[in-house]
Amino acid sequence: MNRPTTADLTLLVPELILVGMALVLILAARRIQTAPIALVGTVVAALAAAAASIWVVPSEGASGFGGMITVDGYSRFFEVLIAASLALAALLSAKTLDRDRIPRAEYHVLLLLASTGMMLAVSSLDLLTLYLGVELMTLCTIVLVGIQVENPASNEAAVKYFLIASFASALLLFGISLTYGVTGTTDFAGIASALRGRGSDPLLIAAMGLVAAGLAFKIAAVPFHAWAPDAYQGATAPVAAFLAAGSKAAGLAAVGRVALVAFDSEARTLSAILAGLAGLSIVVASIIALSQTDMKRLLAYSSIAHAGYALLGLIAGGPEGASATMTYACFYVFMTLGAFGVVIALGERGESVDGYQGLAAQRPGTAALMLIFLLALTGIPPTAGFAAKFVVIQSAVRADHVPLAVLAVVCSVVTAFVYMRIAVQMYMKEPKQAAPARLPLTVSAALAVTALVTLIGGISPGSLAPWTVPP
Amino acid sequence: MSEYAGIAVTFVMAGAVAGAMVILSSTLGKKHPTAVKLAPFECGKDPFSLPMGRLAIKFYLTAILFILFDVELVFLYPWAVCFRELGVLGLTEMGIFLGVVMVGFVYAWDNGALEWK
Repeated sequence: MNRPTTADLTLLVPELILVGMALVLILAARRIQTAPIALVGTVVAALAAAAASIWVVPSEGASGFGGMITVDGYSRFFEVLIAASLALAALLSAKTLDRDRIPRAEYHVLLLLASTGMMLAVSSLDLLTLYLGVELMTLCTIVLVGIQVENPASNEAAVKYFLIASFASALLLFGISLTYGVTGTTDFAGIASALRGRGSDPLLIAAMGLVAAGLAFKIAAVPFHAWAPDAYQGATAPVAAFLAAGSKAAGLAAVGRVALVAFDSEARTLSAILAGLAGLSIVVASIIALSQTDMKRLLAYSSIAHAGYALLGLIAGGPEGASATMTYACFYVFMTLGAFGVVIALGERGESVDGYQGLAAQRPGTAALMLIFLLALTGIPPTAGFAAKFVVIQSAVRADHVPLAVLAVVCSVVTAFVYMRIAVQMYMKEPKQAAPARLPLTVSAALAVTALVTLIGGISPGSLAPWTVPP
Repeated sequence: MSEYAGIAVTFVMAGAVAGAMVILSSTLGKKHPTAVKLAPFECGKDPFSLPMGRLAIKFYLTAILFILFDVELVFLYPWAVCFRELGVLGLTEMGIFLGVVMVGFVYAWDNGALEWK
């Protein structure tokens, strides 16, 4: 193995920007608790990281650190997506930090470091670096969930999330060690070449199942979803938004690279495992979402169902399926951040479904925005949600997974009831509570960006195509 | 698969020995129970006590700070072993690593973690 050189560091420029900003904020933590410097720094670092991953990082397909880290179209796509969700989550949390008595600097440092972990996970070419990235992300998000030290609900959510996440890590590590036992390597290309042309092995099936289970915890796919509703409900809404958007995108990217590069020759077995996860996620989450009255729990179940839909593309496999999942992940990040954004903007009132009664009469603009995001989450044109669902279901049909595709469409109708219930509250009920305060500027900016992407994605879904490069 | 047979044998033997000890002693052993014998064994400690004793949280904080240096040492040791081969690049990398670890220490210091009060 070659020794790492300084040239390898250029592959990590986006991550280094985020880490650098995090270190500066940690050092200055005590002095910037009241100023908005942490927010500005985080947004600037996120934009710089996105710009760096597009323009600064060297040529396509370069790899470094002994073939453990790569930069290709796939990692670049997800790095920009993660940077976007970091910036949007930071903007959305600008006004709630003081209300919830959250230390500003520490909060932003954890957001930055979690994003660093996500970026490492999406650009790793080795199961061990993948694990490191995913763990960095998980550790930071656990602390973020429990960051309201004086709130028992937040502490409980963090403990639950910690216990389940550590269990998931153990499964993932066990899967990695079994994979190493079968193939003698943890490198994706090495695993693929070791598996080519050899028969099925029960140990290998166990290895793939464990790796898939470990990563399914991270994207919260049923039956590994139990942490998500509690963690989302206990966390403050911006943290829940960041979990739903960023960590799901990073988890999907990791599953995608593992499924399509490392275990490519075992695609049949792995897509059977993923099909089980996807089918269960879509059905179970859609049905449980029907009875939710807490908005954060409802959106948590929504995110579980969406994880199932996003997996459809990976089940189909091939470059087309990968692009479908990437499209889904991208549009999903923006529409879920938008929906959470409205929840955050409405404050206490936004956290229960009843709080939306008569919102259209009081704040027509906010209600219209929420309607756009609800339509997108359901998958109704002309929003990006429709385009995203269309491509994944299309790729499932093309790969002869017709029953799964039919199931996905049927459950889509079920979730329509979930989301339209909120629309009914907004437009067809009389207001019972006082009108909410005007939206803060930062939240408005974030909502504008997410709504714009949601609409543009629906009107010209092909505009994303040049960037959805399979691994 | 044959190389895993040893592990399987170990599991079976461990289960058999542990199971045999429990079953044999509970069926064949003589029983003269006293209050002391029936108490759960807890290394000589009183197994039941109300959680009245208080422990200052600052001990935990010190322990966590210790982990910072512990981890640092774990990474310093292998670096020191092949210090010559790694050369200037290794020295720079270690400097950066120590700097990052020290940022955490400075944060703790700055926020009063070292004040014993």
